[in-house]
Amino acid sequence: MAKSTNAKKNQVFAVKDCAIITQTGGLDSAINLRELKERIILCPIQCLYFHFCETLIRPTFDNPEFRNDLALWASTHLRDGVLAEKLGIINPYGFADLEKLREKVIEIIEDRLSELQSLPSVPRGEGFILMRAATVVFDTGVKMTSPEDIRKYLPDMSNSSIYYHFLEARRRTPDRTDDFTFWLQFLKNKPQPLIDAFSQIDFSFLNLSELKQELIKTVDKYL
Amino acid sequence: MKSRNLNDYEEIAGEIVVSQLRQLAANLKGARVVHVNSTRVGGGVAEILDWMLPLMNDLGLNASWEVIDGYDMFFDVTKTFHNGMQGSSVELTQKMIKIYEKNIEKNADRLRPVLEEADFVIIHDPQPAALLDLCPERKGKWVWRCHIDTSRPDRKVWKYIKSKVEGYDGSIFSMKSFARPLPHPQFIVAPSIDPLSPKNCDIDEKEIKKVFSKYGIPNDRPVLTQISRFDMFKDPLGVIKAFKTLTENNFQAELVLAGGGATDDPEGEKVLREVKAAAQENPHIHVLLLPSDAHRTINALQRGSALIIQKSLQEGFGLTVTEGLWKEKPVIGGNVGGIRLQIHNYYTGFLVETPEGAALRIRELLHDPAKLKRMGKVAKQFVRENFLLTRHLREYLTFMLGLGRGLTNYVLAECREHCDENFQ
Repeated sequence: MAKSTNAKKNQVFAVKDCAIITQTGGLDSAINLRELKERIILCPIQCLYFHFCETLIRPTFDNPEFRNDLALWASTHLRDGVLAEKLGIINPYGFADLEKLREKVIEIIEDRLSELQSLPSVPRGEGFILMRAATVVFDTGVKMTSPEDIRKYLPDMSNSSIYYHFLEARRRTPDRTDDFTFWLQFLKNKPQPLIDAFSQIDFSFLNLSELKQELIKTVDKYL
Repeated sequence: MKSRNLNDYEEIAGEIVVSQLRQLAANLKGARVVHVNSTRVGGGVAEILDWMLPLMNDLGLNASWEVIDGYDMFFDVTKTFHNGMQGSSVELTQKMIKIYEKNIEKNADRLRPVLEEADFVIIHDPQPAALLDLCPERKGKWVWRCHIDTSRPDRKVWKYIKSKVEGYDGSIFSMKSFARPLPHPQFIVAPSIDPLSPKNCDIDEKEIKKVFSKYGIPNDRPVLTQISRFDMFKDPLGVIKAFKTLTENNFQAELVLAGGGATDDPEGEKVLREVKAAAQENPHIHVLLLPSDAHRTINALQRGSALIIQKSLQEGFGLTVTEGLWKEKPVIGGNVGGIRLQIHNYYTGFLVETPEGAALRIRELLHDPAKLKRMGKVAKQFVRENFLLTRHLREYLTFMLGLGRGLTNYVLAECREHCDENFQ
């Protein structure tokens, strides 16, 4: 929030970058759906953010089938396609706060539990371990003062910087938008077509490299 | 090994990745980081520190490496710790603990001034773990870095080691399944490979052909290779069974099973004998016992192969998988441990449960060279983005910044202009 306020006041966009370090969530692994529900009720809320939003930034395979870890585990380990699809469609950025996301996930699991005739389990080593991460944000030294600077600096931004300003920003900015949009709307000659185009990008199925290319294409088209 | 600097990695990892490391490290400029382990040469930890120290210093940190001294009886005890942590049932007596503690006290007397002044102390594996309690005036953050698979440790050994590591500010495990319950943050940092090391650097076709010729491996048929020590958990007999299933169906290929470390390991010798017996009648199976420093040979074998096999029944992270993927080879791997994190069906290789499954996937890939090539490219990019030492280094810098600033979910490291004051 501090950064966004700063951007508004000075009309300068300070480009940041971030790195995460993964931590255990402090709970035993869940080997079936009932245990998973119990763990999700108990876990720190950052675990939900990690498994739904930070999948793109941590060192892992960007599985294009499902973008969140819970859906992927339901599909690959529990072999429950119905549950995987219901969890897979969740847009974590669509919730006002992460507790609402937790409620939604619990509701989906409870519904599924009521439908199942038996409770599938996985071997102990294949259980779902809830994780979390600490994010370290740091300055890149780049300052943007005009929309044209986005075109200039975007190609050299790291994937994690793209993540920070386009995705992670949605938990910092007042209207849950990206930092570019937040900044552009306070400029004197705000480029409305570009702002609108940014809002139309469906990032749900893009990895960070693809998202960066999409942003570059959008900027090239509307600036 | 010649010390490298970060610029050497720019071409491989990308300028943006290296520049990001420099930006991140600027917030730790001058920080005194001391690594402590039990040996300067040999073993995975020494290999990591060999590249990590120069790179940390290149980034402006003040990193050093201390090694604890010991004698045979002391190292017998620490070997017991190591085996027990990995799950072997071992005997740990009060006498053994006394030997350990007496020697670690001597080491503490020698190392105390350096360790107590450091901003970050990273203690590798259980051998030096007890140093923490012997440095009561410590100023910095102490982290226990456990490289061992501790998912099922011997209860007595873990009880003792736990009592020595509980007081640390954090611990690091290689995989989430290795982590143990401890009263401090537990970070997960996966291993990595050095793309410029003899085992992974680019080598020319001529050298590859020379290695194949030296070992009598024909190059007119696809070569399938498993690199691993001769150990039942690596399932070399299962690999031979898969290969025989293929050749019985008129499939023409060569199989290479290459590894080392059997000579001083009675169990390994037994497995090697069994492997040789299983391979004896088949001239297309090449069993190679390699010396421990045959890194370029392994590199050539991997690069000259059509695909790599790692059909383990139990595995830690599985760096041989990473090495194969880095060489643009899809990997057919056992569905266990860290292999699961690296092999993704139809993208970087195939996970298999049985020799028959391995045979099926080998046939599938060799039948479709375009798919083989496409998956090889995805495999290399996957390693570039996730398992090179640049990522490993970034995660070390990140946890140091996190701990140094008081670990919360969200740490702002925006004190570039003041960081020298913080750490000098």
